[in-house]
Amino acid sequence: MSMEKPVILGIRACTWIWLLLLLLSLMTFAVGELELSGLKVSLGVLAIALLKGYLVGAYFMGLNRIQGFWRWPVTLWLLLPGCLIGTAFVLAG
Amino acid sequence: MADDTTPPSTITRERYPPGDLAIWIFILAELAVFAVFFAAYAYTRMNHVELFNSYQENLDRGSAFINTLALITSSYFVVRAVAAIRDNDHRHCVGWLLAALGMGALFLIVKSTEFAHHLGQGITLSTNTFYMFYLSLTFFHFMHVIMGMVILAAVAWKASQGEYSHSQHTGVETGASYWHMVDLVWLILFPLVYVMR
Repeated sequence: MSMEKPVILGIRACTWIWLLLLLLSLMTFAVGELELSGLKVSLGVLAIALLKGYLVGAYFMGLNRIQGFWRWPVTLWLLLPGCLIGTAFVLAG
Repeated sequence: MADDTTPPSTITRERYPPGDLAIWIFILAELAVFAVFFAAYAYTRMNHVELFNSYQENLDRGSAFINTLALITSSYFVVRAVAAIRDNDHRHCVGWLLAALGMGALFLIVKSTEFAHHLGQGITLSTNTFYMFYLSLTFFHFMHVIMGMVILAAVAWKASQGEYSHSQHTGVETGASYWHMVDLVWLILFPLVYVMR
């Protein structure tokens, strides 16, 4: 029994994360459909994308259960293109 | 959040990510390639803002949204497959993997329709800089989806043969990790190419 409980609770958390990811995707789609544009909007959309990526890494990939080096590469990867893309959009105005 | 819902006594932190460590080296290499692609797109756009914004309007955002939902849902199904095999439940593990493959197939169908539409309009890599990036980025990702589906299909087959168990399911976790990477890349690609302007 003690082996099963954490798995069930983990799945419950992942189900909520899945629903949150769908909601965040809907928000991104809505921004596109409403033809919202500009630097603040773009950076907001990028922030949502990075949050979604973090959630996939932490909960679906299970990296929030890891300690040490392997906990961080996916998060760092998100920050790398995130910063580069953000900087490019800022420079483009 | 998972830690919040899990009693403190059940939290166990591990040193290595789920699956074979080799797939994680491969995943990081793949992510690095996509990072370069994304940065190249963003910095090229700096000098062609009007062109990128103009041709971005021609893309089918609805199809891309459906594909986003398909990949996120397939990733969730894969999480369920891993949970099932950890519980020694082969039947549900195979079922969830097949459901994930179904979502992957939906992605391929929708994306293929999009590609066919563009090719029908005479759009190719050499049409302009925007389409060069759009087609190469999305086709590169498309190939990763196919590869991920091949891996998931192989894992589903082995699971149906009872080759995984509660104590030995590294193969399922390895396939799952690759598939989540495919999802992860799309989560950046979708807003960057279809929405941000």
